[in-house]
Amino acid sequence: MRRSLTWYWRAHLAVAAGAAVATAVLTGALLVGDSVRGSLRDLALDRLGSIDAAVVSERGLRQGLADDLARGLGGDARTAPALLLPGSAVHGETRARASGVDVLGIDERFAALYPDGGELDFEGAGGLFPPVYLNEALAGEIGAAPGDAVLLSIQRPSDVPRETLVGREDAAETIESLRLSVAGVVSDRGPGGFTLAPHQTRPLVALVDLDRLGRRLFGRAGGRRANLFVADLGAAAEAGAGASGTTAAERLGTALPAALTAADLGIELRRFPGRLVVESREFVIPPATAEAIGAIARERGAAVAPVSTYLANAIRSGGREVPYSTVTALEPAPAAALGRLMLADGRPAPALAEDEILINAWAAADLGLAAGPGVEDPAGAADADPIELDYYVLGARDELSTATARFRLAGVVAMEGLAVDPRLTPDFPGLQDADDIAAWNPAFPVELDRIRPRDEDYWDRYKATPKAFVALAAGRRLWRSRFGELTSLRIAPAGPKSDDGVDGLAAALEAELPRRLDPRAAGIGLRALREDGLRAASGATDFAGLFLGLSMFLIASAAMLVGLLFRLGVERRAREVGLLRAVGFPARAVRRRLLAEGAAIAAPGALLGLAGALAYAWALLAGLRSWWLPAVGAPVLFLHVEPLSLALGWASSMAVVLVAVRWALARLDRVPVPALLAGAAGADGLDRAGPAGAGARRGRRAAGVAAAGLLVAAGLEVWTLVSGRASSPALAFGAGAALLVAGLGGFAWWCGGPGLAPNALGRLAAVGMGARNSGRNRGRSLLSVGLVASACFLIVVVAANRGEGEIDVADRASGAGGFTLVAESDVPLLSDLNRHERRLELGMDDEESGALDGVTVVPFRLLPGEDVSCLNLYRPERPRILGVPPEMIARGGFTFQQAAAPVDNPWTLLEGELEPGVVPAIGDYNSVLWILHSGLGKDLAVVDESGAELRLRFVGLLSRSLFQSEVLISEENFVRHFPSRSGYSFFLADPPPERAAGVAAALETGLDRFGLDATGSGERIAAFRAVESTYLSTFQTLGGLGLVLGTVGLGIVLLRNVLERRAELATLQAFGFRRRTLAGMVLAENGALLAAGVAIGALSGLVASAPHVVAGGHGFPWPSLAATLAAVLAAGMLSSVAAVAGTLRAPLLGALRSE
Amino acid sequence: MTAGGGLALAGVQKSYDVGPQKLEVLAGIDLALAAGEELAVTGPSGSGKSTLLHIVGTLDRPTAGSVSIDGEDPFALPEPRLARFRNRVVGFVFQDHHLLPQYTVLENVIVPTLAFPGDGAGDEAWARELLERVGLGGRLAHRPAELSGGERQRAAVARALVNRPRLLLCDEPTGNLDRKSAAAVVDLLFELHRDAATILIAVTHSLEIAARFGRRAELVEGRCVEA
Repeated sequence: MRRSLTWYWRAHLAVAAGAAVATAVLTGALLVGDSVRGSLRDLALDRLGSIDAAVVSERGLRQGLADDLARGLGGDARTAPALLLPGSAVHGETRARASGVDVLGIDERFAALYPDGGELDFEGAGGLFPPVYLNEALAGEIGAAPGDAVLLSIQRPSDVPRETLVGREDAAETIESLRLSVAGVVSDRGPGGFTLAPHQTRPLVALVDLDRLGRRLFGRAGGRRANLFVADLGAAAEAGAGASGTTAAERLGTALPAALTAADLGIELRRFPGRLVVESREFVIPPATAEAIGAIARERGAAVAPVSTYLANAIRSGGREVPYSTVTALEPAPAAALGRLMLADGRPAPALAEDEILINAWAAADLGLAAGPGVEDPAGAADADPIELDYYVLGARDELSTATARFRLAGVVAMEGLAVDPRLTPDFPGLQDADDIAAWNPAFPVELDRIRPRDEDYWDRYKATPKAFVALAAGRRLWRSRFGELTSLRIAPAGPKSDDGVDGLAAALEAELPRRLDPRAAGIGLRALREDGLRAASGATDFAGLFLGLSMFLIASAAMLVGLLFRLGVERRAREVGLLRAVGFPARAVRRRLLAEGAAIAAPGALLGLAGALAYAWALLAGLRSWWLPAVGAPVLFLHVEPLSLALGWASSMAVVLVAVRWALARLDRVPVPALLAGAAGADGLDRAGPAGAGARRGRRAAGVAAAGLLVAAGLEVWTLVSGRASSPALAFGAGAALLVAGLGGFAWWCGGPGLAPNALGRLAAVGMGARNSGRNRGRSLLSVGLVASACFLIVVVAANRGEGEIDVADRASGAGGFTLVAESDVPLLSDLNRHERRLELGMDDEESGALDGVTVVPFRLLPGEDVSCLNLYRPERPRILGVPPEMIARGGFTFQQAAAPVDNPWTLLEGELEPGVVPAIGDYNSVLWILHSGLGKDLAVVDESGAELRLRFVGLLSRSLFQSEVLISEENFVRHFPSRSGYSFFLADPPPERAAGVAAALETGLDRFGLDATGSGERIAAFRAVESTYLSTFQTLGGLGLVLGTVGLGIVLLRNVLERRAELATLQAFGFRRRTLAGMVLAENGALLAAGVAIGALSGLVASAPHVVAGGHGFPWPSLAATLAAVLAAGMLSSVAAVAGTLRAPLLGALRSE
Repeated sequence: MTAGGGLALAGVQKSYDVGPQKLEVLAGIDLALAAGEELAVTGPSGSGKSTLLHIVGTLDRPTAGSVSIDGEDPFALPEPRLARFRNRVVGFVFQDHHLLPQYTVLENVIVPTLAFPGDGAGDEAWARELLERVGLGGRLAHRPAELSGGERQRAAVARALVNRPRLLLCDEPTGNLDRKSAAAVVDLLFELHRDAATILIAVTHSLEIAARFGRRAELVEGRCVEA
């Protein structure tokens, strides 16, 4: 074998080169996968420093929790408190603005978790204003340099949900603006890159002093708060992970309950003699918290009385009214220590029916009810005037309306005991500190002219003590919100009335509640940042697979080239093979010997290819950092090499090459030994195999393949028409692929048929002869045509999918759904942007607001999360979720690629809950399929606010829409499962295209304090499409390289054909054929193969792309497609010309010599 | 030999450079044949028989000397006209039939008429007639692979005559045939040669076949010695 290897070294060198190319491409694709994973991992780790995990809270918690956590974690664990808030930044002079800024309040403990954190100095930094460090991305975005002034706008966190009557605030008052001096610009990879949502693009981060930020947001008293606690678990993490497989989140989760206090959970325990009053800083106690507190108390034998207090704008009866009173809903106390309501006549108040009310004596007197009916004359109660309560109802868009409830008077309550307990009303923001009613400062309108002196007297004496009482069931029905229904729990210990009992119960609640209550129910979450980051770095897209796919044509071309080269090499050695067979070597032994030779050639070639793989991967990554940057968004990908990939690539390439070599040898077995001895191993040898029937059989088989392909294609087309799925890409692709097979089968059949008579074309006889000759060597011709046809098929399909045309964003069926603008705000808006007066309240001026006249703005609730579109390289674990409002569901629009049910408006499928814990969801087809790796009818598991698993089941998938970054559920389900997310942060608006720019400008300037950014929906879709089309152009580029290899293959086939037929060509020359005529004939022969390949591939490609071709929305790129196909033909013909020129220049005469 | 017509070779030499040395194959051939004459050229392997035939057939150029066919020096013609000259004046029969495997017998015979298409109306009818005369009238649609060796060579003879050449050159026309087939092919050659009054030159190793030719010459050391 060694002799053979050296003797035929030229042929072998070509085979080895082919193997090297196949290995370089295949392994290179694997290395791209390594590099993407490695780069994302590096980026994630750089941004985390030594942070392993974090506690994230919706509210500000005490900073001391950080120390408590560190103690609980033990060992050398380190923790740091921080405040992380979304906001926007404006350059103090240029007014350059950036939204989507992470404002991060930190101190030296946070900085110490990063190797380069020491450069952050908030104390020593000079400057006109307090210092801020901007990361490079933010500094670049607004053009800020050290010393410049910047204005940061952030939303002040609120303990009380803003979508409640008591939590309501003027929009402008929720924004806190900080004027700061830039103390320095820090790297995007240290603390300046910290982010909770991994993304390869650079986050915009502003680092400020934690305490200073806290004081601005929470006031001097409550300033030492934090909503983010990061932890470096130190050696403990590694030891824990090593010993028991405990994750960082689990370790932190174990330490958290011990570190949390009831106050951290928003609970305030107020001790009174004989009873404990439990209230929430949120005003209403979240249901899960109330349930846990009740359970802990009852387990200790305590009596629990739930209370719900609300504000009545008026208590009215018989034409008289008492303005602005609190009303408490409660049940008769289960224990005397909790206090009881006593009627004016000294009897205990009765249990109330849902339509009954008790009025306190003060209000009864004011309403002229004296002792009141139902006490002295219960029978007369039915005839008495009903008691009406007017109260505010807050709508979803912050719209206040007044509702009225009617009750029957059940009695008048004496002004004593429970009836005068001011703690029945929790601290009412804006009210409780006021000395008189005139000084109230609530966020709802108060008509001060209705306040009478006697009301002030009541306030002076009783403050917010309720004037009326209703049944708890009635209170729940009237005033419950998604945030809860109880304002306090009154608890009496089981034992004797003593302070010890109360203290003991309070201590038990302090200790038990953090253990009993899932912190997530209190808005406190755990994030295993390092583990999540590393997992997410594995990528949403398998880049190794992607680039293998993109390079597949190149790999296939290289493999075919190897097979072809090896086969031609073997054919040249036909006599040697014949001799070995003649002297008794079994066919299998000869084949093995040649296969071993092939392996011996390919192995070093493949090894050399590994070096090429590094270059190929490097080049692709360089491409992804430059020409193909839109595909990955940020130039963060650098070469990473895993030895396993090299080994796997080498082995896989060897397997591919050996399959190609084996294919090359398969034909040899069928050539009879005499033919081999005569030097014929190719088509001539097979001809000599004798029976004429063999060719006919091959012809019949080819015809059968063609017919079957045609049948399948026709069947799929008929099915498409019958089923009305004219836009189904899968069916169309199937039909196109079947047609491709049919075309190749037809060509194979034609090769064996009679073909064109050589004189049929008259003066163009050479062309006719060439065309006829193209079918002479069926195997080679089919290979060539197959290669070209496959390439053209892919080129057409890819071109069709690029959808280069402009989309009509004003069209409801487009990916923009008829909305020309998309806007997103850093600070959620509660107001309805469709109403002029609400826009003014938000701070827009008349002109800005007027720009929106006649424009419909549809607001969506937004749960911040990770981008699920192809713009995010990281694997999203917590998707961005949008709550779709009812008006959007009713409006419909957009085009659905798939829907779970055949309904006119698939948006309606979002309504309702499918089963407990499963809600319907809509996503974009591409994102759901490729990034979330899910599909129609499948579930995506997320965690809702209570900590319970929530399954989002896809009931509809949108086609190429602007919703590629998020998953959509109904607003109803959104607020049910994420109740604390107040307001709307995502907006769609439908101004006519010519007004879109003006409306966008009005929104951005009028609402700049909310960090609102408006962009054209076309631009948003274009950004998604840019990724897609960049991948497609990558594919086209790599496919083009494959085609280059393919044309090299074609050239080799042609060269070989000409060499084999030198005698034939010499004969023609002897009969007077000119060299030029012969060249024309050979070129026509190759041209026929190319034309057949292009025609078969392009036609079947067009059928496969039928939905794109006929779709009105996407312009089909006819000119560029035609140019590409012409380039394929030209490249093929050029390689043919080169091959023909090389071979026909040599004298042919020698082939005719008989001596 | 006639001055204005027939074939005339004068002092034709052919030599090749083989490394530093010069290999002289033809050392000065003088030859003249009139229409209707036939010549068998014999000689040992490597004596230059095929080279002589290729020069006569204008496939190869002499190193020195002149060739005249019907008074015309073909080598003075530019390439396109030389090709047309060869197409119209010369017919070849080779030892290997060199039939095109992808064509039928009839198509193979027609092929020489396609080098300059449009010149000859009725080419196909003439090809059919020729094939009738060589005994292949019933095999017109057959491919070469479906014919015997003798049949293939008869088809090659028909192909050589399809353009009604004045010069019929045969290079070992029976070298691959058995005796019986060889005799049949030679019979056919003579018959067609006489009918068309061509100049027939055949290179052969077979003295038996050579003996049937009116003139015979042997190539010895690059020179033509006529018997």
